Amino acid sequence: MRQFVKGNPDLCIGCRTCMIGCVVEHEGRRIFEIDPDGYDFNPKLHVVKTAKVSVPVQCKHCENPACMAACPVGCIKVINDAVVIDQKECIGCKSCMQACPFGVIDVISQVGTSQSDGSKRVVANKCDLCVGTGNGPACVRVCPTEALKLVSEEAMQESVQKKRVATAEAAKAIADAMAD
Amino acid sequence: MALKQVQTTCAYCGAGCQIMFTVDTATNKIVNAVPAMGRTNQGTLCLKGHYGWDFINDPQILTKRITSPMIRKGGKGSRLEEVSWDEAIQYVADNLTKIKKKYGPDSIMCTGSARGPGNEANYIMQKFTRACIGTNNVDHCARV
Amino acid sequence: MTMGVHEIEDAKLIFNFGYNGADSHPIVQRRIVRAKQKGATIICADPRVTECARIADVHMQLKGGTNIALVNAMCNVVYNEGLVDQKFIDEKTVDYDAFVEVIKKYTPEYAETICHVPAETIRKAARMYAKAPSAMILYGMGVCQFGQAVDVVKALGSLALMTGNYGKPASGIGPVRGQNNVQGACDMGALPNNYPGYQNVTKPEIQEKFEKAWGVKLSNKVGVPLTHVPQRVLEEKDPKKQLHAYYIFGEDPVQSDPDAEEVREALEKLDFVVVQDIFMNKTAEFADVILPGTSWNEHDGVYSCCDRGFQRIRKVLEPPKGVKLDWEIICEISTAMGYKMKYKNTEEIWNELIDLCPNFAGATYAKLEKYGNIQWPCRSKDDSDKGTVVLHQGKFANPDGKGKFYTADWRPPQELENEEYPLSLSTVREVGHYSVRTMTGNCRTLRNLEDEPGWIQMNPADCEKLGIKHGDLVKVVNKRGWCITRCNATERVAKGATYMTYQWWIGCCNELTIGSNLDPVSNTPEYKYCNCRVEKLDDQAKAWEYVNTEYKSIRERMGIKMVGKEAV
Repeated sequence: MRQFVKGNPDLCIGCRTCMIGCVVEHEGRRIFEIDPDGYDFNPKLHVVKTAKVSVPVQCKHCENPACMAACPVGCIKVINDAVVIDQKECIGCKSCMQACPFGVIDVISQVGTSQSDGSKRVVANKCDLCVGTGNGPACVRVCPTEALKLVSEEAMQESVQKKRVATAEAAKAIADAMAD
Repeated sequence: MALKQVQTTCAYCGAGCQIMFTVDTATNKIVNAVPAMGRTNQGTLCLKGHYGWDFINDPQILTKRITSPMIRKGGKGSRLEEVSWDEAIQYVADNLTKIKKKYGPDSIMCTGSARGPGNEANYIMQKFTRACIGTNNVDHCARV
Repeated sequence: MTMGVHEIEDAKLIFNFGYNGADSHPIVQRRIVRAKQKGATIICADPRVTECARIADVHMQLKGGTNIALVNAMCNVVYNEGLVDQKFIDEKTVDYDAFVEVIKKYTPEYAETICHVPAETIRKAARMYAKAPSAMILYGMGVCQFGQAVDVVKALGSLALMTGNYGKPASGIGPVRGQNNVQGACDMGALPNNYPGYQNVTKPEIQEKFEKAWGVKLSNKVGVPLTHVPQRVLEEKDPKKQLHAYYIFGEDPVQSDPDAEEVREALEKLDFVVVQDIFMNKTAEFADVILPGTSWNEHDGVYSCCDRGFQRIRKVLEPPKGVKLDWEIICEISTAMGYKMKYKNTEEIWNELIDLCPNFAGATYAKLEKYGNIQWPCRSKDDSDKGTVVLHQGKFANPDGKGKFYTADWRPPQELENEEYPLSLSTVREVGHYSVRTMTGNCRTLRNLEDEPGWIQMNPADCEKLGIKHGDLVKVVNKRGWCITRCNATERVAKGATYMTYQWWIGCCNELTIGSNLDPVSNTPEYKYCNCRVEKLDDQAKAWEYVNTEYKSIRERMGIKMVGKEAV
């Protein structure tokens, strides 16, 4: 079962530290040194604020990803058990963006890349669990209120097991009540 | 690369978070900032604590670091001209002395700073205002 | 604050009043979130649905400018329902009867007509607060930045007094102070009425002590508060009270003070303006002399955090060539004017000042090094005195040792909505930018997250009425000035009310804020209430061109050389 990062609206304070943390992790610490216009600011998660909720929203790393099925050039791949967009191969067709039921894919323009006519390349962008960095998801690390958690298979199984036990006990309670 | 670590207090709000900076002493540049274990922050930082330090290398995004004293030699509205520290200090001292003589010490107002400078600089500013100029006209932007 | 930040998470109940920790102090908000997770009850009084309001058990979404009516009504409920701590009142307080006389009138039903919070909600909150085993009040600028502010602080203090919520852990009343070292600037006597350590300038024995220490005759006349400066320059007729010179150190009043036009006029009229800062800013444009100081991370020293905690700041980097340490600059000017000041380092300055301030005397650099953080009072240099977490234990700081009850009748804000300017405007905070933004606006990623021309928060119903959408550029205007900003349509704000943050150069809300209505005691301006009108801009492309051109032009004035595509 694939891991994913989950935001907890009871803990989130809407500060968006996670969004910067994401960019810094993917662009590298060099961004604090280089020309301020020399990089793109494209977080792979977004803090959503409504009247009732503040929480970061990002890819769920589905087991059967709709984005992957929709991609006509096969540039969405599973790498180290994370669903990842290969932005080098992406043609920017927006199919994945439309296919994703959670609205967690957007298209971004990339600095320093260009097409044959000189215009900027536009590619799909989403959470990749910081795969390949060896540090785990940056958003989880930098959140000041621990509002983001990496949900592992074990944690999922544990939670499901707890619910199963609760359901079983409820079934017994109902049976007892009916016997009375 | 010669790295050293220095712990300090964040300058961005009253929470008083502790930050550990890693500095390359050869280039005099910050390499990294991570949360330290302070009483109030317990190893956490917000976005300003984590990512609010690259202004120090004067990237000139919004405004420019001032690195020389400047005087409007031609009076109000004239161009600011870079001068030596000796000239700037004497210019300020002469003008404040002149105004103090003409209108009295209570015609001069000074501010402390609730931001970067720190307690010692504030102490010195109020001491200067009270002991040298001779007025209690010292305040700061507490109410902002 | 009478308590420590670290205690917040152990509170049984937090009454959060006009304080938006999530945007102004995220790491304090973290403690509020943790308190909630540990089972604390949260009551929030705020005109907006802040992050704290969102997780609160009761949110009282009051109309701006009605704070004291709400607090009085809560006190009224506590009194009428017999929820008071009579033993605490009898033993530890004074002036209860006079206080009760004022609150009698403020029934929840009466308060509802003023502050628009349902009477039943006020009752519920008051009962929750009074019945909690211990309750902590946190308040912020939503209390302080009104013409009637100190009254509200005292009323909140009285609510805590009548329920005995002082002097025990995780109780009391905490103003959570905004800027990193606003507590420190007050501690150090950068105040017109106090020497360092809150020692009053009008007390002869205090004056004598400082005269002896500094070897010079001192004035016993209370000085001018900063917010009176424009009036003392522009309107004062008495020549003895007029200001002629202004030495501005580490501040940017043109950006941060209310009614920017008035501030600019005052700076233009002054005979002599000195600006000591690290970056060019809007105030420096009016300076006769600019003195470049060192930045945070380039000097040593001590800051005081919001809960009276002294902590060291350390030099992380070598400062650029050409700048000088702030205290050195001031010492050199003083010496040139005939009053010699010379110190080797900040520790020498610190040692001089702590010996003049009994409440700080024990907080030596050595102990700060050892313990990391010392909350004053810390009176003994002995290692065993590690400072004081909770104030007012046993007795209060008043001369008789008793807590003093006080409240007042509600006064409306000075400038109300009218036909021409039908909306209210309040200043608020942007989480990723600090103060006037010369530091954070020069930080790459913080600038990426939020940049010019900022936002005006408006209720979607108001937006619809004006035919504007989220993200549209709009003109915000009142009789003092105008600015262009973007519309943020959000249900988190009530109809009729708007909110802007104050650090933008283009979306500059202090062009509109009111400088003339100061609290009579604290002299704090009414940043949280003035009127305004929002206008739709039909030609959005032209409006964006204005924003971009104007922003570029100010940056050029600040010394930025345009490169690459910006130069075109």
